[in-house]
Amino acid sequence: MASTVKYVRVSPNSASLEEARRRVFDFFKTACRSIPTIMEIYNIDDVVTPTQLRSIVASEIRKNSHISNPKVIDMLLFKGTEELNNIVEHSKQRHHILGQYVLGRPEITPDSATKEQGSEYLKNFFRSNYF
Amino acid sequence: MASVSANFLCSRTSVRLPNQMMMSKKSLRLATVGWGRTPGLTTSRFQITTCAAKKETVDKVCEIVRKQLALPADKEITPQTTFTDLGADSLDTVEIVMGLEEEFDITVQEDNQDNISCIQEAADLIEQLVANKS
Repeated sequence: MASTVKYVRVSPNSASLEEARRRVFDFFKTACRSIPTIMEIYNIDDVVTPTQLRSIVASEIRKNSHISNPKVIDMLLFKGTEELNNIVEHSKQRHHILGQYVLGRPEITPDSATKEQGSEYLKNFFRSNYF
Repeated sequence: MASVSANFLCSRTSVRLPNQMMMSKKSLRLATVGWGRTPGLTTSRFQITTCAAKKETVDKVCEIVRKQLALPADKEITPQTTFTDLGADSLDTVEIVMGLEEEFDITVQEDNQDNISCIQEAADLIEQLVANKS
């Protein structure tokens, strides 16, 4: 593989937001380049396509896009790299990958079978604790 | 020391003037605009070779961009539209580049990555990388 995941080598803190941003993009690129391996290891070719996985990774990164402290960004990157390492070295199993990343996302697995006939209250209840 | 540097500056401007006069008949402006352009000779050469991006490459790039950014079908995409015009933030741009990498089976290096801002540039880079690979 052209770019293997860099095994966890704690690098010094990013000096500026710009450097943290660059690290985020490098992490994203590493993740995208490991997607074919991941699909091969866990045999998820029939459930998702690489494009969908890419957009899942992007949305996870985007969830934290509002953060402006470089140290926090570094910490999140560390956690992300650790997660990616765990996935690539097959420390997880297929149901972990599917449950954590694939299922429950409306654009990928539309919840067709679930509770269409339920009331509005029930729908909110299933979605979250607070409504 | 100050006088020496002033002399140096004067001599530099005197060298610059002939360039300016050759390039344009405008009024003699001692602005630094012209000075930065002299390496532009190589840039213009680069531009000529990269105008040769094939139509189907540009079309494929447009298709990928359209799918990635979920654009409505009637939104006009020309090769000159930048990704930010279409509402993409920087993560979207990286994602588009990743999509292109996968589609054309190439690997974009770090320094090339930052230059891509519009569709034409992306298509040109792809052409170059595909030609280098084969």
